[in-house]
Amino acid sequence: MQELLDIVNEMREEAGKSTIEKLEPSMDLRDDLELDSLMLAELTVRLEDEFDIDIFEDGIIQTIGDILIKINGK
Amino acid sequence: MVNNMKQTFLVHNDIVYTYENLLDDLNNKEIYSTYIYVQDNNPYEIFLSIIHSLLYDYPIEILDGDFSEKEIDELGLNVGNVLMTSKITESSHFLHFDEVMQQIQAIEKWHLTLYTSGTTGRPKKVSHTFHSFTRNVKKHNKLENDVWAFAYNPTHMAGLQVFFQALLNQNTLIYIFGESLKNVPTLIKKYQVTNISATPTFYRNVLPYLQDDIYSIIKRVTFGGEKFDAALVVKLNSIFPNAKITNVYASTEAGSLFAARGDEFEIKAEYQQLIKTSAENELCIHYSLLGASLHEQQKNEWFHTGDLVEMVDQNHFKFLSRQSDMINVGGYKVNPFEVEDLLIQVPGVNDILVKSKKNSVTGELIVADVVKDSKIDGKELKIAIKKFAVAHLQEWKVPRIIKFVDELPCTRTGKKVRK
Repeated sequence: MQELLDIVNEMREEAGKSTIEKLEPSMDLRDDLELDSLMLAELTVRLEDEFDIDIFEDGIIQTIGDILIKINGK
Repeated sequence: MVNNMKQTFLVHNDIVYTYENLLDDLNNKEIYSTYIYVQDNNPYEIFLSIIHSLLYDYPIEILDGDFSEKEIDELGLNVGNVLMTSKITESSHFLHFDEVMQQIQAIEKWHLTLYTSGTTGRPKKVSHTFHSFTRNVKKHNKLENDVWAFAYNPTHMAGLQVFFQALLNQNTLIYIFGESLKNVPTLIKKYQVTNISATPTFYRNVLPYLQDDIYSIIKRVTFGGEKFDAALVVKLNSIFPNAKITNVYASTEAGSLFAARGDEFEIKAEYQQLIKTSAENELCIHYSLLGASLHEQQKNEWFHTGDLVEMVDQNHFKFLSRQSDMINVGGYKVNPFEVEDLLIQVPGVNDILVKSKKNSVTGELIVADVVKDSKIDGKELKIAIKKFAVAHLQEWKVPRIIKFVDELPCTRTGKKVRK
């Protein structure tokens, strides 16, 4: 979870946005974290570099919890 | 065609514009411009301007509403000229939208110009006649009640194709581009949408909101602009069980040319002599099929599309890949040279290589390798590069991930290696 938070915050910092303190599994990527398709693509690439897994490869990812399942289940 | 004037022409941000509203606004329009450069790409204003230009038969040029002044400059245009408007001195008064449609049939001088991101230097200007825009538009009584979900940028070729298809059949357009994706299911149900056309990236992003339901009213689903995605088709089939799913090949230069049920595109009999492949399997299109401005320049020549294809039989082909350096981010073409030329100006950037990173969300994404000035802090430079890019470029051209490298790989001829 901490690694995921670091990645999300790195993205936000580089984009000139404020960082967030905590991620919850229930957080919706689009509604709560306000990620558009370009930001989701960026997150996918960053996660692939870190965890060597393509989170969007075969399914539909909606929340932080969905990403954690992918990362932990690989 | 008997058209009910109370029928909806467009829904955008909860505002409903009927054909009657559209007619009133056409009748009462006081100023016009030969450029369409509309803030936030407001679709109603864009469509109103296009229909007005058709009605009074004057050529019009369309620019993205989010172009920065610098991007306008690079097109060889002057922002002052682009924003200039003229007063309308003489106009007719139309009583019914059918009269507008009849008048449009008589146009002679009208053409619409748009810009395509060129592979080197300046973007290319392409002008299309009414005929080349509407070549593949189907007009039929049975299409009268179609309701289109409009999911493209209205200033680009694909969006204009949907607009003309809807206009010629006097259909309803429900604007869902830029709309919050979670509202899409509600909009489809509320307005009884029957047709959707979008990029694969759009469908992949809206799927989480659609997957828990079945939309049997949708009868046609079209996508294009990006690589064929077989897994996506399977998912779309289950959500839209009654829809005919079509894959379309269109380009800014040629408009819409080919359609496919799966990944095999059909070459219609009338185009047989006008389509060929080169020795390197590149798809070539005869200039007579392209926008007017292009085929006047290059009569009897072949336009090289940069798309590598495989002929399945005489009338069918499949796409293999792109030959050119252009990067396709969710259906938008990006010229890496344009991005490099801009970002090399950021203080602290000694050299930069812009390239593509594959991903399952937008197909490709812009990333950059940067050789930085050793005195500059890396984190601050990343922020500065992104800030500069956001200020001067459309958002899909902005490098999302920046890596610092000691040197950039070069070929033996000194060209940067982009892979």
